[in-house]
Amino acid sequence: MELYEFSAVELSRMLRARECSSAELTRSVLERIEKVEKRVRAYLTVDREGALAAAERADERFAAGETLPPLSGIPIGVKDNICTRGMRTTCASKMLDNFVPPYNATVIERLQSAGAVVTGKLNLDEFAMGSSCENSHFQKTANPHDLTRVPGGSSGGSAAALAAGEAILTLGSDTGGSIRQPAAYCGIVGLKPTYGAVSRYGLVAFASSLDQIGPMARTVEDAALLFSAIRGADSRDATCAAREYAPLSLSSDVRGMRIGVPEEYYGDGVEAAVKAAVHAQLQELEKAGAKLIPIRLPSTPYALSAYYIISSAEASSNLARYDGVRYGFRSERVENLEDVYLNTRSEGFGDECKRRIMLGTFVLSSGYYDAYYKRAKLLQQRIAAEFTEAFKSCDAIVTPTAPDTAFPFGAHSDDPLKMYASDICTVTVNIAGLPAVSIPCGKDAHGLPIGMQIIGGKFTEEKILSLAKACEEMAGGFNRLPALD
Amino acid sequence: MKIDLEKVAQLARLKIEPEKREMFERQLQSIVEMVEKLPQMEEAYVGVDPAHPMQLREDTVRPSLRREAILANAPQTQAGCVVVPKTVE
Repeated sequence: MELYEFSAVELSRMLRARECSSAELTRSVLERIEKVEKRVRAYLTVDREGALAAAERADERFAAGETLPPLSGIPIGVKDNICTRGMRTTCASKMLDNFVPPYNATVIERLQSAGAVVTGKLNLDEFAMGSSCENSHFQKTANPHDLTRVPGGSSGGSAAALAAGEAILTLGSDTGGSIRQPAAYCGIVGLKPTYGAVSRYGLVAFASSLDQIGPMARTVEDAALLFSAIRGADSRDATCAAREYAPLSLSSDVRGMRIGVPEEYYGDGVEAAVKAAVHAQLQELEKAGAKLIPIRLPSTPYALSAYYIISSAEASSNLARYDGVRYGFRSERVENLEDVYLNTRSEGFGDECKRRIMLGTFVLSSGYYDAYYKRAKLLQQRIAAEFTEAFKSCDAIVTPTAPDTAFPFGAHSDDPLKMYASDICTVTVNIAGLPAVSIPCGKDAHGLPIGMQIIGGKFTEEKILSLAKACEEMAGGFNRLPALD
Repeated sequence: MKIDLEKVAQLARLKIEPEKREMFERQLQSIVEMVEKLPQMEEAYVGVDPAHPMQLREDTVRPSLRREAILANAPQTQAGCVVVPKTVE
C-alpha cells in the first residue's frame, strides 16, 4: 500500500510513530499527481516546492518532539475559489486567470497554523456555478471511476483528487450541493457544514447567504478531522457564528436513533438504482437498532425555483465587482470606461455565469422583485420551518444525495435545466442553512458510486457524522481507490 | 413572463454576441418558466434566525494590506493609482 492511499487519521498516527515522514508522504502524493493528472485533470495549480517546504517544516517539528495538531504534515488540496496568499486563485475563470491573492482565507490560515501541507488548487465550475466541472474555463476534470464521465460539481476537482489519490484531504465549497454531489459521484465523503460554522473570509463569493466551505475526505473520521480544524468564529465574517465548539466525538452506535425519511426525495426523478441503494442502507440501519420515521417536507418541489432565484440574485450582485478596473482580466478593446466594463465582462465570463448573472439581474429588476425574489425568500423561510418541524420527530434525515450517478461528458451541456436538476436533493439544505454529509452508498450497474445524504439540525454535525460512521462500518470502510487504467 | 434579453444584458453590463442571442433567449426563457413555479404566500418575512444571531466586530483600527500588494493585481497602474480610460471631457 502506497502512502497516498492511507487516511489522514492513519497517517497522523504514522507520522507520530515515525513510520513515515511528511516529506515522504508529500512526495508520494506529488508522484501520484504526476502519474495520473494527465488523465484526471483535477489540479489547476500544483505547488510542488511550497508543499515540500511545508512538509520539511512539519518533519523538523516532529523531530524536535513538539506536540502538533493532527493535520501537521498532511497533504491537503484546496478548491480554487479559496484565496491563498501568493498562489494563483482563478475560480476556473478567465476573469481571474492572473489573480494572485495578497491574503489568505481564514480556512487557509487555520490549515497553515495546524501545520498542514497545501498541495495546490483544484478545478471547479467557473465561480462554482455548475454540477459537472465542465464549466471550467481551463479544463474538464474526469471521474476516476470512469474517465469518460464527469466528477460532478462544482467541487469536482476536490472530489476527483481524493478518489485518484492525488490528495489526502481537500477543501470544497457548497452553495447548492457543490460539495455533496461531486462527493457522491466520486465515491467519497463530503460535509456541507451548518451555515456559519466555517468562516467564508477569503472564499470568493457566489451566493453569500448560501455559500459554505467544507471538508472532503475518503473516510468519515477524516472529514471530521478537517472540519474540526477549520470551523469556529471569525471576526472577519459577521455571518460566522459566535459560538464555542466541543471536540467532535463520533459514535457508530445507532440504537434508538430516529431517522426521518421524506417521501418527497424519493420521487420519479430519482433513478431506481439510487433509490434501491439508499433503501438498502436504511434497512441495515433499522436492523442495527435505528427507527425509521416517515416524514413530510411538502415545499420540496419548489426548492429548486427558490434556490435559483436567490442564488442568481446574489451572484448578479457579487459578480458585479468584476469590471476590469482593480484586478483580474481587462479586455484589450477599450475606448472608454463603459467599454472596460462591457467588454471585460462579456469576454471574461463563460456562458453559465452570464446566464446566472442575467437571471439574477432579471429577478431583482424593477417590477419583478416582488414576484420572484420576495416569494423565493418567503419560500426559504417556509422550507426552513418545515425542517425545524421535522426535526421534532427525528434526529437526522436520510435522502439520496443526487438523483443519478456520474453522467458522460456533454450529456447535459445544451440544457441548463437538466444540469440544474442534479441539485434537486441538495439545495434545500443550503436554503435552510443546515449541515449535511454525503457518503458512498453502493454502486449502480455501471459500477458508478451512489451517494446518500444525511441532513441534521443546525450545528448537529457530530450527530450526522456519527450516523455516517455507522454506515461506513457496515460497508467495511469507505477508503477504497478505484483502479485508474 | 417574456424576458427582454437586450434590457437584462444591458443592466448586467454584458454584451451578447448575435450568434448566441437565440440560445440565451431560449435558455433564460425556460429557466424563468421553471422558477416561476412558486406558490402564493401570505406570511410575513422574518429574515433573521433569533436562535443563531450574528455578532458584529468592534469597529477598531487594524493593520490592513499595503498599497503595492493591492495594486499588484491591477491591470494598469500609475503613481500608486489604478488607471482607466478618460471619463470626463
